[in-house]
This record gives sequence, C-alpha cells and structure tokens, in this order.
Amino acid sequence: MSLAKIAQTVLDGNAPETQQLVKSLLAEKHSAGAILNDGLLKGMEEVGRLFKAGEYYVPEVLASARAMQWGVTELKPFLKEGDSISKGTFVIGTVRGDIHDIGKNLVCMMFEGAGFNVIDLGINVTKENFLAAVKEHKPQILGLCALLTTTMPEMKGVIDTLVESGLRDSVKVMVGGAPVTQQFAEKIGADGYADNASEGVEKAKALLNLAG
Amino acid sequence: MAFGRVKGEWMTPKRRFLSALFGGRVDRVPVGNPTSIATLELMELTGCSFPEAHLEPYSIADLAASGYEELGFDTIMPYFSVQIEAPALGCKMNWGDKNQMPDCVTHPFEGPEDITIPMDKYLQTTSIQAILEAIRILRKRYPDVAILGKCMGPWTLAYHGFGVQNFLLMTKIEPEKVHKILKALMPYTIAFAREQVKAGADAISLPDHATGDLVSPKMYREYLPHLHKEISYKIGAPSILHICGNTLNRIEEISSSNWDCFHYDTKTDVEKAKEIINNRMSLIGGINDPWTLLGGTPEDVKKEARRAVQAGVEILAPECAIPTATPNANLKAIVDAAREISGLA
Repeated sequence: MSLAKIAQTVLDGNAPETQQLVKSLLAEKHSAGAILNDGLLKGMEEVGRLFKAGEYYVPEVLASARAMQWGVTELKPFLKEGDSISKGTFVIGTVRGDIHDIGKNLVCMMFEGAGFNVIDLGINVTKENFLAAVKEHKPQILGLCALLTTTMPEMKGVIDTLVESGLRDSVKVMVGGAPVTQQFAEKIGADGYADNASEGVEKAKALLNLAG
Repeated sequence: MAFGRVKGEWMTPKRRFLSALFGGRVDRVPVGNPTSIATLELMELTGCSFPEAHLEPYSIADLAASGYEELGFDTIMPYFSVQIEAPALGCKMNWGDKNQMPDCVTHPFEGPEDITIPMDKYLQTTSIQAILEAIRILRKRYPDVAILGKCMGPWTLAYHGFGVQNFLLMTKIEPEKVHKILKALMPYTIAFAREQVKAGADAISLPDHATGDLVSPKMYREYLPHLHKEISYKIGAPSILHICGNTLNRIEEISSSNWDCFHYDTKTDVEKAKEIINNRMSLIGGINDPWTLLGGTPEDVKKEARRAVQAGVEILAPECAIPTATPNANLKAIVDAAREISGLA
C-alpha cells in the first residue's frame, strides 16, 4: 500500500512527498529494490502511458521525472547489486549541429523510468563521440536525436561510422525527432523509429525482445 | 521597383493582404510570411547572409525585401529568427550561420523578481533597434507592400529567460510564480510591438510557443488567453498569433483572444478549426515546411495550396520558418498557386 502511495506521488509530480515517503519506508526497513521497482518505476510506467495517450504533456512528465529522481537519490546508498534489474544500457545524444534537447531529455526520463541505464551524451555530439561512447559503454540501444531537417543527415553519418568500425551489429540504433519519419529511419538503415518518448521505450523493449 | 503584376490584379500587395486579414474582398488569394522565408538562394542573390542579416539593418531589409522582389509574396517581414529579444533579456547569444538559426546559450532569470530591465534600456538593445531600423527602411522603400513586424509573446520570452525545460517544469509545480513571470514579461512584448507599429509596420506577427507538442489545453487556458486579450488590444495594429504544432484543442481559446488572424501549422485539422473559429479571425498558412516546401515539388506545393484555400484559409503561407535550404521555386509556387486558384494568369 505504501508502495502504491509512492507510485501516486510520482504520478502527481510531487517530489517532496515522494522523497519523504521513500525516507520513511527506508526507516521501516523496506527493501530498496522494491521501493524502486514497485514504487518509483511503477509510477513512471503509468506516466509513460499517460504521455503516450496524450493526457500528460511535457510539464507533467518533467514534474514526475523530478519526483522519481528525488526518490532515487534517497535510495542510492541502500540499493544492492541486483536490486535494479537493468533492462540494458541506452546511450543517447542529439547529433552534431543540433542543440535541441528537451525531446531527448524526455526520452532519457522515460527510459530511466522504464529501468534502463541511461547515458546522455548531450547535444551537438559528433560521429566520433558517438562511436567512442558505443565502444566504452557497450549499449544495447543507441538513440540519435535531431530536431532540424538540416541535421538529420548526421544520423546516417553515425550509422556509417558504426559500419566502418565493425560495430554496427553490436547495437540497435533508434532515431527520433520532429522532422524524422519511419521512412527516413528505414532509408538510413536504423533499426527503429518512434515519434514520442513512450513509444520509444516500447519499441526499444521490442527490439531487445524484452517482455512488458 | 514593383513586383510584376498579372492581368486581373487590381490591388496592391498591402491592400490585398490587409483586406484578407479582416475577411474582406480581394482580387486574388494573398500570400504572406508571418515567419521567415529567407533561403540560401535569396542570401546568394542579395549578398546578405546570416548571421549579419539578423543584426545589420540594411542587410536585414534587403534580405527581407527579396521575399517580395524575387518570390512575389505580398508581405515583407524582417525578423527571421525567434531570438531578437533574447539579448535584451540578458541572454548570451550564438547568432548561428546561414544553415543554423540563432539560439540563446544562457538563461539569466530565476524568478519574476529578476524581470526588472528598464524599458528604455530593453528597447535600445542593438538587436531590437536593428529590426526597428529595418522596418523604417522598408516602410520608405515599399509603400505598397504589407510590412510585417514581429515580436515574441510572454511565453516564448519566458523560454529565453528561464530555459525551456526549467520554465515548463515551473508551469506544473510553481503556477503562482509562472503567473507572475508572464505578467512581468507582457509589457516587453507590447512595447516592442508598439515601436514596430510606430516605425511603420502594417501588422504584427506574434509567435507564442505554448504549442500542442509541449503543453496541455488546460494549461494554455490557465495562463494565456487573458494575457493575449490584453496584448492584442494594446498592440492596436492588425495582429497575427503564431503557434506551431497541432493547436486544434486550443483553437477556441485562441479565437476568443481577439487576434485578427491565426498562423497555423499543417498538423492542425484546418476544416475542424474553421468550424470552431466561426469567423472570429482569419487563417494564414497551409503549406507544410519539411516535406512539401523543402523536400517536395512545385506541384506538391500547389496541391496543398488548393486544399487550404478550399478549406477557407484566407492567406496562403508556409506553416512556419522555413529551412534555409528550401528551393525558391517551391516558394514561388505558392504565389503561382494563389494566382491559378483565383483564375488569373
């Protein structure tokens, strides 16, 4: 019941309440792993559903993600190996020449909320830096964002760089951003495309053959 | 130098544009640009390129005028980006280049108490003065073309001052603060618009990006309509609100904020919008930017133009600021379409 309360405070975007509840549950010796998975992440799962359904918009998602982050900060010292069943590592960045990040940041929040280990490379990321990140973090999914029609071609550049270094098959590449389309994704050889952050999570799970 | 006139056109571009704005009689469908139509080709032709053409009055004026001189639009609009006010608010700027629009790289405000810039200092900012000077130059040179001023609404000014993500978070968790912020920013919107009117602008284009991609209709209703009513009244001149994205679920609020015209995005179902608007304002827009104008053919452009006019759109335009790589031929096709649809040449 208390775990459901935490899911609710995340859903409501109430960071102070979420933090307080997590603190008291930890004081009562509740399992940190359960608080994370059945409380915080459960709340974010519902947020993702509402975002996809067009009932939650960006401000609501930002507030909920903030509440989740405040809760996670309390939990960190108590989390043990195996508590967070990571769905995989997700590396994401906005391509070179593009400085838009709010969509990317939403994707990070949704993937984190879905239990992925997220590495955000930021904005204006070169092909070389994407390649270096793939080598270093060995992600299951690489996400490329572009908001401008003029920066979309960079995405093909990143994929080509992966092919040249023989790493293309080691990672699933997903693309997104306002001007990007399914057609464009297929044309450049990406593995997946989604037009919103929640759908991105679903498609990523499907690409990795993950249940639910 | 007047743009070539075809047989059957008996109105000047200014007359045609302003009449259509108010739902009046026209010799043919007008074509306007409440947002940038600066292309690489036009920059090449005029010798005026970004970033100088954001800040140097004669460069601004010449590049803006080429929309009329070379493409045949009925309007000339000298404010290409959405960032002219950002330095006036105290933001550090990256003015970009011919392929990348400017962006502010810092966001100086933490709360409404920080919004205390003296109005005369704000209006004396180089970037703001550059637009005003460009309007004066254009007004003298083009008495018969509709000169469009442009300024950002308080929501967009808040994005610049606070950062988009930071501000959007506040709209959910600190609503009282947001009300104060928007009220504090509103006078800056009105003041810049009034100066542009005094400089000779015929109408004002006002982007305020509380878009359907970002905020709910409930939030839009909470924060903006009452401010927009005050803004459209105090600007006094004919005014065009611009909001990107699908705005169907806030079109009722927009229609009752006393704007003369709404610049809509093709993501919006225009037939349904027209029904709800019920003649309270006119519509400008109709041509998609990334797929049609940038990636399509003149024939694709004409198809969309016909559909828009059929749906009752009063003035044709690209839906938003175009990517600079857009071919001039596709922009000219909007004007050709307007003439064909009206049964001229």
